[in-house]
Amino acid sequence: MQAGPRLRLPPVRLILQVWPLALLVLAGVAIRLSKGAGVADAYAVLSRPFWPGTAQGEWVKQAQRLEDQTRLSQLTADNQRLRQLLQLRSQPGKELMAPVISRDPGGWWQQLVIGQGSIQGVTPGDPVVAPGGLLGRIASVTPTTASVALLTDPSSHVGVWVARTQQHGLLTGLGSSRPVLRFLDKDPGVRPGDVVLTSPASTLVPPNLSVGVIQSVNGMASPAPEAVVQLSARAGAIDWVRVLMRPGRP
Amino acid sequence: MSSLALRGWYRATALLVPLLTLASPGFLKLGDVGPAWAVLWLLPWALVDGARSGALAGLLLGLVLDGLHLGPISEIPALMVLGWWWGRMGRKGLPIERSFSLGLLALLGTAFVGLTLILQLAVLGELQRPVLYTWLSQTLLTALLAPMVCSLQLLFWRQQTSGGRR
Repeated sequence: MQAGPRLRLPPVRLILQVWPLALLVLAGVAIRLSKGAGVADAYAVLSRPFWPGTAQGEWVKQAQRLEDQTRLSQLTADNQRLRQLLQLRSQPGKELMAPVISRDPGGWWQQLVIGQGSIQGVTPGDPVVAPGGLLGRIASVTPTTASVALLTDPSSHVGVWVARTQQHGLLTGLGSSRPVLRFLDKDPGVRPGDVVLTSPASTLVPPNLSVGVIQSVNGMASPAPEAVVQLSARAGAIDWVRVLMRPGRP
Repeated sequence: MSSLALRGWYRATALLVPLLTLASPGFLKLGDVGPAWAVLWLLPWALVDGARSGALAGLLLGLVLDGLHLGPISEIPALMVLGWWWGRMGRKGLPIERSFSLGLLALLGTAFVGLTLILQLAVLGELQRPVLYTWLSQTLLTALLAPMVCSLQLLFWRQQTSGGRR
């Protein structure tokens, strides 16, 4: 009886010759399946000294800033042109730093006296801002001083709006530290914490100056809701202010 | 020299009133409200120099202070009345020297000034502000300072006039 075909193993000599090649093929398959893992990483490690430095990143950022500034200038110019068309108050022409030489924020009269006057070009009605936002408006001037009626003074009435809801209102001083904001709309939809800015429609003060934060809302007030506003600029702790001189003045 | 008003140097001390009102030192404030410096100056002046001089001083002080303040309300009526009243009191009554009396007069005077301001605010329809706090703070603070400040002024000015009370 004749025996069947016998399983023939490859000779040991052949195996010893081809195993490095087989390993390479296996490695190639692994790289292929892993989408280049190992090779790309090795390249990253090797090429790290030649990567683009931070200088190039700064160039990109600088170019971005330049582009932003250009866009800002363009938008500002557009804004001013449109405001002129609408005959609204535009941005102030010139700013003047002034020291606070007398303050009476809590007495019968809510006012400051600043050390710049008509000689420097300050005129009644000029808005006065401090760190934090709008402080008040110039009420009277002497050659070297000017009195500022604070937003808390009962004579102060400034048009403001809540930017989040775009609801306009009139901020009126009560003689206390917190003025009241009387809305024009019956349903302003504001809540405590909303930021109050000067109104873009105001003809007295520049638009979108920070004024304060709504502290509480009285929805039952008649004829329209009211809100108590915590002012962001503290008159009692300010030594220097900026007078926003209106354009067209000397 | 028999009258303080005739001496320019003493009249010039009235300039301290607007200066102190403007300076309003923080350590002499009660809850951001300062004392009524006009009352503190006018009280000894009127007691020493008489009703007519007191009323005139009240008028001048009121004019200066109204010029420094915003708004339509005025201190002139109250200061004139107080100057007249204290001047008559200094001339016709017993000499007022005790610190308590000076403090009481300053308290009444400051309260009167505050009331006239409140009355004016009410007439103008601006009485929505919390005036009670300001009124009480200023009245108390002025009454506390009067025994110290007015006593010294009274003593000094009486020494400068012949015979003191007339």
